[in-house]
Amino acid sequence: MENVVELKGVTKAFKGFSVDDINLEVKRGFITGFVGANGAGKSTTIKMMMNLLKPDHGEVKVFGLDYKTNEKEIKERIGFVYDGNVFYEGLNLKDIKQIVAPAYKQWDDELFNYYIDRFDLPLNKAMKKLSKGMQMKASLAIALSHHAELIIMDEPTAGLDPIFRREFLDLLQELMIDSNRTIFFSSHITTDLDRIADYIAFIQDGELVVNQSIEEVAENYAIVKGELELLDQDTEKAFVEVRRASTGFEALTNNLKEVNDIFGDSVVIENATLEDIMYYLRKGGVHHV
Amino acid sequence: MQIIISNSSKEPIYEQIINQIKSSILSGDLKEGTALPSIRQLAKDLQISVITTKRAYEELEKSGFIYSIVGKGSFVAEQNLEVIREKKLKVIEEQLSAVIENSKEIGLSFDELQELLELLYEE
Amino acid sequence: MFNLIRRDIILQKKMMLIFIPFILFFIIMDTTTTLTVLVASLFIPFNAFYYDEKAETNILLNSLPYTRKEIVASRYLGAVVYMVLAVGFTSLLLFVFNQSFSLDEIAIGSGMFLFFAALTFPIFYIFKPGYLMVVVFISFFTFLFIMENAIPYILENYTALAEYVMDLSTLEQYLVGSLTVMSFYMASWLASTIIYQRKAL
Repeated sequence: MENVVELKGVTKAFKGFSVDDINLEVKRGFITGFVGANGAGKSTTIKMMMNLLKPDHGEVKVFGLDYKTNEKEIKERIGFVYDGNVFYEGLNLKDIKQIVAPAYKQWDDELFNYYIDRFDLPLNKAMKKLSKGMQMKASLAIALSHHAELIIMDEPTAGLDPIFRREFLDLLQELMIDSNRTIFFSSHITTDLDRIADYIAFIQDGELVVNQSIEEVAENYAIVKGELELLDQDTEKAFVEVRRASTGFEALTNNLKEVNDIFGDSVVIENATLEDIMYYLRKGGVHHV
Repeated sequence: MQIIISNSSKEPIYEQIINQIKSSILSGDLKEGTALPSIRQLAKDLQISVITTKRAYEELEKSGFIYSIVGKGSFVAEQNLEVIREKKLKVIEEQLSAVIENSKEIGLSFDELQELLELLYEE
Repeated sequence: MFNLIRRDIILQKKMMLIFIPFILFFIIMDTTTTLTVLVASLFIPFNAFYYDEKAETNILLNSLPYTRKEIVASRYLGAVVYMVLAVGFTSLLLFVFNQSFSLDEIAIGSGMFLFFAALTFPIFYIFKPGYLMVVVFISFFTFLFIMENAIPYILENYTALAEYVMDLSTLEQYLVGSLTVMSFYMASWLASTIIYQRKAL
């Protein structure tokens, strides 16, 4: 499968925070969800993908190309949506379009108008007068109007109401009907990704701790519940993290097969949501899966 | 084609899809040569990830229920219904043997067993 | 590139309405043509920086298919383009209001603008946004103060240099002056490009 984005050993250090040795591949034709707590390094990683930040070490390739030599070609094919408004807040959408459209060779006015209609966006209202949800829709309309192959979004659903969040996810799936399209988006709202992501990249304290397809995640990870007597030094090894209570234990495993072998029918096994995984990995502080 | 996905089921989503398409084919609801929705269309309709529908189709293809033509999509394959029926019969035979064995263990008579079977069959 | 320069007009459409009375104010106050030209030229480029400072423009522009080299170049080329427009516009207004002005005054005004731009543009690329406009305002008045005091001082104390300049023909004076300003401007452009290419956004 072809990689649209490749990060190899990417490292970036700031005062008191760093993104460490990230190896990440974003596959063409799929949605990759980038999960992590606030401050885990999601925005930093995305900025390096967009060449807004240069890594201290490592290599970033987009469409197999290097920013050093092909910056314009790469960005021509990317649509971006950031957390927060990056457009001039005093301008209305019509003016913003006038600034953004000529930057792209493939800008499509018809498509832009289609999204304006579909999202019910006012063309003549200043950006700062739009609600957060409307601002996001406006960014999205702009990001989608130049036939971008890769759509990179940083926390697009933060601050959206549940109804629009659902509509937004539907729209992404609609976009994915085109098998040449790739979506990479970060979110700390994991239910967004449970539904539609094909691949999950999970970053924690600047390190990529999970990077699997959603099918692999479902196959390997599970929540296991059972009686405390079942736990001992050996059996506990099957778990990433165990939570004990007087009534029994609840644990996350990343090796469901082993759990089945060890415990059989003596435990209750449930699907782990991404939130479960995030929660337990956070507590367990496990590195390198 | 109707597919109902349960998110709370323990059965993985791709298996739910496989089983429902299989039973549509075996019951004759999906006839040989019928075009199935594309992997991406199905993912959108079911609001699940593309990789999940992809996996379901791949496994259906492997077990010979459907076939795919690049650029055209996936279609219901010709089913050798007799062979399938024989296979199924064999499974039923095995399962019934297990039932009889269990019944004997607790001393259930043939008549009682038949009565139970009739009752369940009616449901 | 042209789009990047045009951006300033779209951005400052409403500002243009202030531009005319702003220039008229200087003309009516009967300030020197040099100062009027200088202020008129400053208007658009520095307003642009002000706008860029408020929004996350650097992130926007760098996410669009532009290189950092182009983004800096558009500032430096744009400043020249808008200076030419401002000079033309100011001359027109001066003409309409029947005020006399000389080519020398305009040349000195534009030269001072370019000189000041060369000094301050890199600041916008070095520092994080915040109070840059305040810094620029302060440096502008300092700049005017220095210009007013330093030039007579130099002329008095470095008579050799002054005499050398005075001995040049008008054409030579223009040539030396524009070459000095141009090379200064280019050096500033180069510095900004290098700084901006390393900048984390």
